[in-house]
Order: sequence, then C-alpha cells, then structure tokens
Amino acid sequence: MSRELIVEASEVTLAYRRTRHRVSSLKQTAIDTIKKRMAYEEFFALNGVTFDVARGETLSIIGRNGAGKSTLLKVVARVLPPTSGRMIVRGHVAPMIELGAGFNPELTAAENIVMYGTLLGRSPKEMRGRIEAIADWAGLTEHLDIPIRAYSSGMTARLAFATATDVTPDLLLIDEVLSVGDADFREKSAARTVEMMNSGCAVVLVSHDLDAVKEMSTRVVYLSGGIAKQSGDPTEVVEAYLADVHH
Amino acid sequence: MQVYDSSARQIPVISQVKSIYDNRGLLRLLVVRDLTVRYKRSVIGVWWSLLNPLFTTAVMFYVFNTVFKSKLPDGAPFLPYLLSGVLLITLFNQGLTMGADAIATGAGVLTKVYVRPEIFAASASISSAINFIIGLAPLTVVLAIYRKTPTWHFPMVLLVILCMTLFTTGLSLLLSIAYINFDDSRSLINIFLTALQYMTPIFYPITVLGPQTKEVIQLNPLYSYLQIFRKEFGKVGVSTFSNWEMMVISSIIAFVGGFYIFSKRWPKLVAKL
Repeated sequence: MSRELIVEASEVTLAYRRTRHRVSSLKQTAIDTIKKRMAYEEFFALNGVTFDVARGETLSIIGRNGAGKSTLLKVVARVLPPTSGRMIVRGHVAPMIELGAGFNPELTAAENIVMYGTLLGRSPKEMRGRIEAIADWAGLTEHLDIPIRAYSSGMTARLAFATATDVTPDLLLIDEVLSVGDADFREKSAARTVEMMNSGCAVVLVSHDLDAVKEMSTRVVYLSGGIAKQSGDPTEVVEAYLADVHH
Repeated sequence: MQVYDSSARQIPVISQVKSIYDNRGLLRLLVVRDLTVRYKRSVIGVWWSLLNPLFTTAVMFYVFNTVFKSKLPDGAPFLPYLLSGVLLITLFNQGLTMGADAIATGAGVLTKVYVRPEIFAASASISSAINFIIGLAPLTVVLAIYRKTPTWHFPMVLLVILCMTLFTTGLSLLLSIAYINFDDSRSLINIFLTALQYMTPIFYPITVLGPQTKEVIQLNPLYSYLQIFRKEFGKVGVSTFSNWEMMVISSIIAFVGGFYIFSKRWPKLVAKL
C-alpha cells in the first residue's frame, strides 16, 4: 500500500537575526547604527530538517530543551513560515499546542467554544452546532452561560481540551501528551488523545517521555541545535539520544 | 482538501484580502466579541464607549467656546462642530491602536494557531467604526439643540467610514511592525499621535490659522476626512472636491501600502512575538 503523505518537510530552515542586546529598542538601534556596530547575529532555530509523515503514522520529535522541537511543530502548524526549504501539509490540522489560546475571560463558555473552534479553522456555524456536545463531554453543561473568568483553571483546561479535540483531523500536532483536570478527566482526556492518534490521521508528537515515544511512534527525529541529528527507527534513535544525554 | 505549501507564491494584498474574506466568519466573531465585551458586560453599556468623547467634548467646549464660537464658517454652531471632530479622531485613534495592539500582543493566538494577523487589524477598525456610528446618535441630539438635523445626504458619511476603515487597517499593520520591532516605539508613536491630533482642526476652525500653517494642516489627510464628515452629516463645515480626492487616495495608499509592507515583514515578525 502506498503511503498517503500528509506532511512533507524538505530542508526546512528557520533563521532569524537576533539582537545581541536583550531588548530591541529604537534608542539602541540608533546608537548601533551611528557606531556602525553589527547589532545582529544570524540564529538558526532549524537548519535543513527533512522528514515526512503519512496517514496512520506517528512521528515523534525528541531532543534537549531549546533544540527546536516546538519551533518545528510551529512550522508544521503553519504559524512560523520557514525562511528556506519547503513545508507541505495536506488537510485539516488540529494543533494541540498551548490549548485555550484565544479564550477570552469576559465571554461565556458557549461563546468561547465558538470563538476557539473558529480560530482552529472551523466555521462558526459548525461550532454553534457543537456547543452542547463539547460542553457535555467536558462536564460543563450547567456552566455554559457564565463568563469563563468565573471558571477554575481546571474547568478552563477541560473546556479547551474538549473544544480542541472535537475534530477528526488529517493531522494531529501534540506538544507533550496532555492530560488535564482532575484524575477522572485526566484519564478521559488521555484516552481521547490515544483515540485520536489511532483514528487514522497523521500525528506529529513532541515529547520528553521517551518510553511513550518508543511505544507510540512509527519514526523518531532527534533534533539537536536545530539540526536533525538522527532519524528513523524509534528504539535506535531514542538510544542514540540517551547515549548523548549521558555523555 | 486544503493544502498548505510554504513555497507557494502568494500575491501580496490580494491574497491577504482574500484570506480576510475567506475568514469572514471569524472576522464577524471578533467584531461581535469586541462589542460584547465593551457593551453587554459593563454596567452603563453603550454609554461607556461614548463617555470618553462626550467628556472630552464637554471640557473643550467649556474652554474654547468663547474663543471660537463666532469664527466658524457660515455661522455653524461650535458644539456639533467640536463633537464631530472628537468623534472622528476617536474613530481614527481607536481603530489604529486597537489593531496594532492586537497584533503586537499576538492576540494571544498568533504564535499558537494559524490565523492571518490582518484579520485582527480589520476587526479593530470595523468595531471602531460601529462605535462611531453609535456616536452619531448623541451628535444628532446636539444638532437638534441648534435646530439642525442631519442632512439628506448623510449616507455619504458611510463613505467616510469606509475610507477610514481602510486607512486605519493599513496604518495599524504598519504600526504593529514598529511595536514588535522596538520596545520603546510606543511612547514615540504616542507623541506623534498627539501631534497629529493638534494638526487636525478638531476644536479650532481652520480659518483662524496663519496662511502657512493652514497649508501644512491641509496636508494632513485627517483634515479632509473631518471636513467631509462635518459637511455631509450636519452641515457644520465646508468641504471641497480636493478633500474627497485626499480622503479616497490616502485610504487606498494606506491600505495597499500597509498590507504590502506587512506581508513582506510578517515572517520575520512572528518569530519575534
């Protein structure tokens, strides 16, 4: 059977100029310009990363903090455009990255469901039809019409998770497997994440949980300093990464 | 099936406008959110957003009435002249700074999910325009005090609003570039905005100015927007064809220029957010 490619990344590079000073101000820029001092240095957050993910596969990205894992996930999510190289993504993407971004505390739970779902690329009309089901799954039906500023952080997290996962995406992006809320809901949300991962979509997963990575992945990319140091068989790549870490 | 290809060539401005149109559902939600948060959830509701311009007008009226009341063209009454000015400059300031702020703070989402940032600039301008339309109610009341009513061609005001929306959307994109690139740009821009306000005849009639000053003031596009608005809504000002030219051309230049420059800069900006 041929692989139906959902993500194709070839030589993806993300370079930007970073100021040497911690802050970037007009004043500092003016001083630097007058003194003819180079205030910038080129910084490669990602450098020539190539991989692909087909439907039904799970690709995990591992590496130390600051290796570019989350950056790479954001390039796949279309948030950061690569400065060179090419990224192709086909179909509907469900990014489970910092859930609840875009929630407005002054809006009610129902309004936030519609807003958040729309920000994630669905239509407001479709979302209005999903309010009940989402609230029901999150166990928040009785609190639908109050502004979420009155919500506890656990309730907000449940609402965000329920809204973000109310889709059958072609590509699922996960930044650390999420489990939110109390023990009951944590189990429920973990189960739903696994269910989504097994629904036949493509998955790109960033995780520090190496055992889970070995178990769930089809392939693993080991990033170091923005470069794909090794990629391929999960067990081999995780071993190589662990060998580097212990050195 | 939608396909994202990072190497696909995008035509600036046209592709951006198209993406706003494609996401009009989100645009509408953002506008409704702005208005809901401002009105429904506050105790005095609609009056809240009018409080600032009405109060400013009251203070300026108290201070400047005796100086300027008999200096207006055609003996127009000072209070509606003044309120028109304050409402229009509020429309400009609000659309501009709200839009730029939304993008510069990433609107909380721009670094997490894929949304075209231009939508936030457009929604800020549109909700400011709706606030402005609400402000026409007290202006009508003020006109009535002087036994005046809105003119029969007051729908022309919609053109002023349209041009202003394009103008502030384009400029707020440029402003957001400055906000993101330089942490200290805000205070400088505030100085500039204050200067621009004084360079707009909000509370003074342009006839009291010296000939050179007058020429400089007429270069300010806001002057033309304001003259047209005053004339078309309550007939408390005079406008010429060159004001119309200035308004339409400035709005198109700001819109196209703002979108074009923004589309070139955004890939670098989003990495800084």
